[in-house]
Amino acid sequence: MNAAPAEPFFLDGAPGRRFCLFHPPAGTCRGAVLYVPPFAEEMNRSRRMAALQARALAAHGYGVLQLDLYGSGDSDGDFGDARWEIWKDDLARGAAWLDARLGQPLTLWGLRLGALLALDAARMLARPPRCVLLWQPVSKGSAYLTQFLRLRTAGALLDGAAAQEGSGSLRAALQAGDTLEIAGYDLAPQLAAALDGLDPLEALAPPCPVHWFEAPAAGTALPAGAARIGAAWRERGVDLHQYALPAPPFWTTPEITVSQEWIDATSNVLRSDDGA
Amino acid sequence: MYLDEVKTILIDVLNLGDAGRALDAGSPLLGSLPELDSMAVVSLIGALEDHFDIAIDDDDISASTFETLGSLAAFVAAKRAG
Repeated sequence: MNAAPAEPFFLDGAPGRRFCLFHPPAGTCRGAVLYVPPFAEEMNRSRRMAALQARALAAHGYGVLQLDLYGSGDSDGDFGDARWEIWKDDLARGAAWLDARLGQPLTLWGLRLGALLALDAARMLARPPRCVLLWQPVSKGSAYLTQFLRLRTAGALLDGAAAQEGSGSLRAALQAGDTLEIAGYDLAPQLAAALDGLDPLEALAPPCPVHWFEAPAAGTALPAGAARIGAAWRERGVDLHQYALPAPPFWTTPEITVSQEWIDATSNVLRSDDGA
Repeated sequence: MYLDEVKTILIDVLNLGDAGRALDAGSPLLGSLPELDSMAVVSLIGALEDHFDIAIDDDDISASTFETLGSLAAFVAAKRAG
């Protein structure tokens, strides 16, 4: 069934407004989905996959909300103004909007750092999610921050600069209260501190079914870290389903990359989970 | 001895596809592969750390490490041995 065109609109946030794109469900509504995008450039590089997945889910009867977090995309604010707490509030507002519009159980769908943000925000939602969908989740905020800071080191390397700043000295500058420009994004010390202090993925197991997708490099086995956290979650009784799919890392590749197999697999698990 | 594994990871992370199959130990990487931008360098480091269970320091992120496929494989071998 063909889905109706997506509806762009602005949602009030605090502060400013958030750009949203709502994909209305085709036919009988089966549920609501809130997309939680990844961090900085990864959001841009994965935009096409997110849009295609949102459309696919809408065609299957899900109402999907894509929301640009504060300081990103077409929402108000500069990236340097973004704060973790504001982003969690953005998601709470998005979830409330979906609830008012559709009155359906919510699935949170997070990519990379968006997965950590979704699980952190899930703990404060008025109505807990029915299901969580994780795409290549970041397992630790502090390690992710190190990788993000390394973009500056790698950029200097590519420019042929002789001396490079390591992530250690960049972290020290952040702790001293400096805002740093990393790969074109202003990173505020407050946001960096929030990433450093974030609960790891292992501690954020939600009380609902989880579908977790990984695209392992060089093979089809689940990466060791994902397998370890998965085992810890299951031990705590989480209804967890992990999938390792050979797909390009579409959130980092410079060329826009699409994996139809990944999209189909995601749509299928959500459909088969319906009413669970 | 890690050449083939490193090559496979490089092809996957950079999404080089069939064009990547022609790479050998002498193939230049940094400055020669347009796909190898700063995000790709960081992703590649992360994938190598995960796959080989090694820790790569900031100091290791040097032009000599990423000069050729062979130098990158030799770097991984040294990390594994160390």
